[in-house]
Amino acid sequence: MATVEQSSAQKYSPPLIELREVVKTYTSEAGDFTALKGIDLNIQAREFLGVIGKSGAGKSTLLNMITGVDHLTAGEVTIRAGDRPVSVHALTENELALWRGRTLGVVYQSFQLLPMLTLLENILLPMDLCGMYQPRESRRRAMELLELVEIPEHAHKLPAYISGGQQQRVAIARALANDPPILVADEPTGSLDSVTADHIFDVFEHLIEVGKTIIMVTHDMGLMPRFSRHLLLADGEIAPPPAPVTPAIPAPGRARR
Amino acid sequence: MRPRWRKVFLDLFENKLRTALVVFSIAVGVISIGVITGAYVIIANDMSASYSANHPMNVELRTEDFGSDLVTTVQGMRGVADAEGRRIFAMRVRMPGTVQWKTLDLVAIDDFKKVNINLLRPISGSIAPAKQEILLEKKALASLNLKPGEILELQLQDGTTRQLTVVGVVQDQTTGAGDFLSPPFAYIHTDTLEYLRQPNQFNRMFVTLSENQNNDEHLRAMAARIKDKIEKTDVGVGRSRVTKTNEHPMASTVQAILGILLALGVLILFLSSSLIANTLAALLNQHLRHIGVMKLVGGRRNQIFAMYITLIVAFGVIALLIAVPLGGQGAFGLAAFIADKLNFSLMGYRIVPLALVIQIVVGMAVPLLAGLLPVLNGSRITVLHAISGDIAEETAPPLAGGKKREAVVDRVLHRVTTGLARRGYHLPRPLLISLRNTFRRKGRLLLTLFTLTMGGAIFVAVFNVRVTLFDYIAAVGNYFKADVTVSFDRPYRLSEVQRDALRYPGVTAVEGWAFANAEVLFPDGTVADNMLILAPPVDSQLVEPTGLQGRWLLPGDEKVITISESILDKLPTLKAGDMLRMKVDGKEDDWRVAGIFKFVSQQGTIAYGSYDYFSRLTNLANRSVSFRIVGQAHDPASQQILSDGLDKYFRDLGYHVSETRTGKSTLATASESLDILVTFLLIMALLTASVGAMGLTGTMGMNVLERTREIGIMRAIGAVDAEIMRTVIVEGVVIGTISWFLGALLSFPFTYMLSTIVSLAVFNSPVEVHFTWLGYLIWLGVVLVLSALASVLPARNAARLTIREVLAYE
Repeated sequence: MATVEQSSAQKYSPPLIELREVVKTYTSEAGDFTALKGIDLNIQAREFLGVIGKSGAGKSTLLNMITGVDHLTAGEVTIRAGDRPVSVHALTENELALWRGRTLGVVYQSFQLLPMLTLLENILLPMDLCGMYQPRESRRRAMELLELVEIPEHAHKLPAYISGGQQQRVAIARALANDPPILVADEPTGSLDSVTADHIFDVFEHLIEVGKTIIMVTHDMGLMPRFSRHLLLADGEIAPPPAPVTPAIPAPGRARR
Repeated sequence: MRPRWRKVFLDLFENKLRTALVVFSIAVGVISIGVITGAYVIIANDMSASYSANHPMNVELRTEDFGSDLVTTVQGMRGVADAEGRRIFAMRVRMPGTVQWKTLDLVAIDDFKKVNINLLRPISGSIAPAKQEILLEKKALASLNLKPGEILELQLQDGTTRQLTVVGVVQDQTTGAGDFLSPPFAYIHTDTLEYLRQPNQFNRMFVTLSENQNNDEHLRAMAARIKDKIEKTDVGVGRSRVTKTNEHPMASTVQAILGILLALGVLILFLSSSLIANTLAALLNQHLRHIGVMKLVGGRRNQIFAMYITLIVAFGVIALLIAVPLGGQGAFGLAAFIADKLNFSLMGYRIVPLALVIQIVVGMAVPLLAGLLPVLNGSRITVLHAISGDIAEETAPPLAGGKKREAVVDRVLHRVTTGLARRGYHLPRPLLISLRNTFRRKGRLLLTLFTLTMGGAIFVAVFNVRVTLFDYIAAVGNYFKADVTVSFDRPYRLSEVQRDALRYPGVTAVEGWAFANAEVLFPDGTVADNMLILAPPVDSQLVEPTGLQGRWLLPGDEKVITISESILDKLPTLKAGDMLRMKVDGKEDDWRVAGIFKFVSQQGTIAYGSYDYFSRLTNLANRSVSFRIVGQAHDPASQQILSDGLDKYFRDLGYHVSETRTGKSTLATASESLDILVTFLLIMALLTASVGAMGLTGTMGMNVLERTREIGIMRAIGAVDAEIMRTVIVEGVVIGTISWFLGALLSFPFTYMLSTIVSLAVFNSPVEVHFTWLGYLIWLGVVLVLSALASVLPARNAARLTIREVLAYE
């Protein structure tokens, strides 16, 4: 398997996320197109996994399979984040929404903030919808998250009045609102300049330190060194490893984008 | 406030135009329903309540002259609560110094303080006129423009004038109730009769009953008993009429008309609900990304559903806040207008609980029902579709194998345009884009077309109904073809009047007619109906009847009549050729009904007989008191000039003229009341049209909003402002034109339906439907202008956007 070596402790504990022979085929006028061709993948807790590949390689499809945003054609995705393993695609749409809200934080390239709500309210929204915190506690927690992403002073602004990088920080804070163990990010730095992207990576690295597991999709091979593990995706399949082992926590200094 | 509810709150004001559109769509329907149900309840209650509060007569008898002893006799009859005698006679009046004479019915009362039947409600001044004083009914006041203290000039039959002082204004809700065509009333003391050269005797008996005042059968039986009693004292009874105490004679007609307006109100509500459905579907479509995000971060279907249902409830509440007060005011305004026209009073402004409840139910239920499907669909959408979906297109379910299904409309459009191109006819690209854009969102297009088509069909139908009603009134005018009717207070020889009349400039023909009052009897001998028999010469050119059954009059007809269809209300089985038991001039006999013809039922039953026979029957052979005169011009103004001229001419020749009337004057009042009805129908039509226009504006706005990205692309590849605006406006005009064709087709059944309902309510009989191009042409102009205007605003907004803005549009 095209993965970096895992620590021995991780090797013997069951994986947090487990993909077994995942196939996704799209049907279109031009004919069938298989985006994922039997993916087998284990992701351990506290990993910072980079999924790297060119446009059309199946990276976003892979994330959609993990988050349950799209249906798979064959195979199974199991996540062991709670009391018992959950087969993601066996859940109903409603069960999936609640489970996802509590278990997974999702960050997109285009931020996907609700434009009519302030930054604080955007972060409060998942807590409100999943009902995990009391209103007073939600508010305190949302402010803490804004401090975590270093923009507490903008709490009461609308998304349109802050920069793209700041919006992405808010999107990360929102993804962390219900304190999910897993963060899934689809090209989160894709529309940001390199300095802002570095700041986002700083946040991710801090989250790994505090025990989160992050799966991040990117087409940028240059980001490879910043992941604790990466895999290359090409034509819906995991390609052989192009890179040597990297440490779980990157050494001081910034990676080149 | 929790973030999700804060989102709902902010969504309300996110797009003010859209919120205004939804709120206005709901409010229009709620206001229409509120106004009509409120007015319906107010009128249903107040019309009859105010009528019965004025102690209306149960039996009215028009008689020969009688004295107060006969009143005492009737008062003593079993079952009679009270009886009063009055003298009612017509006089020509005017303000001194003016030229135009008007006709008033003067009511002489011997003791105003003891009036117990048909009460007079004081409005201003005195309630009891002394000798040579007069009270005016408020309708008379309106037509004469006099104030208490001023002088009224009255013309006696010999042409001399008298003057009375106006001392007060009263409202009489009962005496003329139920008669569209009655002239206004004025009231004098019997002491003034002599001054006006009228006998100091009564000619009208008003009776109230002590029991069963609302039982038709009892009323008729009592009327027959009282009539017998009066006739036994050698006082002839011309007509008798019975009315219930608790029901205004016009109540059923007014309620039938309000029923029609209510049906239109429901239709407006229906149309506004399709507009609401369209707007909410678009709102949900624009919010798909929001829904996707909420589902992504843990939002479940029921939470999303609850949020958008709450949003709809908020729209409903805002609409109700606007519509309920307006509906209440409108209801009272409409009721007051009708009360003024029909001369009854309302019991003050009030909120009608039923109307309020209906408005609240409608204001909440209609948007909820209309929005249920879009909200259900929106809340069911998957995250993937929501955050990645192309919202400018409606996607049909794919065919087996994943092929996209091509809609029939798209296929036809594609084939037509490519076919034309192959033959060398190339449609301009912007036009092609407009045409294809028109059919992209078929569900939305269908709802928009439905609203506009219904609006158009009703608009056009109202014009057709108007023509139908007025043509019917004109057809009724065929029974009144004389330009002037001159009545004398004594009979004159036909040859003498004809000779003199024909000498008057402009007179081309003169006919003397005979008259008789008759009672149609049920087999048990009770009176079924009173009727006036008009007896023109059998070859008269002044009556052109619309026959329903049988034939018209023939020379030599004896004891033969043709009768108006309203008799069928009383005797539904009557056919042409049947015998009819009648009492004519006091003599009971069987008469043959030669034919049945159409006539306005509100005017009561009338019949025609031959002059030769009736003039002999009434001992007036070759003589008459009433002459129909034809002039050269037939318009109302010429008729009035001829009428005034003949009045003076005959008086100068020494004739005893009692009255001259123009032929059109009878119809003018009927036309006026129809005009009110048509105005209401037109207001409802304009409301439906405005709902349609709002629907189109909303649709075009939503289409443009959803295609912002495409507009950006068009601009990026060189489309200028004018071109972008043209594609949007042409799309609107295409929708408008399609709706016009559909509306024109639908207007035919609508015209038949509406004409039948209205004519049944107003005339008690269906009428022949007529069509006019006017409605179709006006609606074509209106819909083209509306659709262009409805597209201009969205088109301007689209053209104003910069490429960067539109390509960055989320």
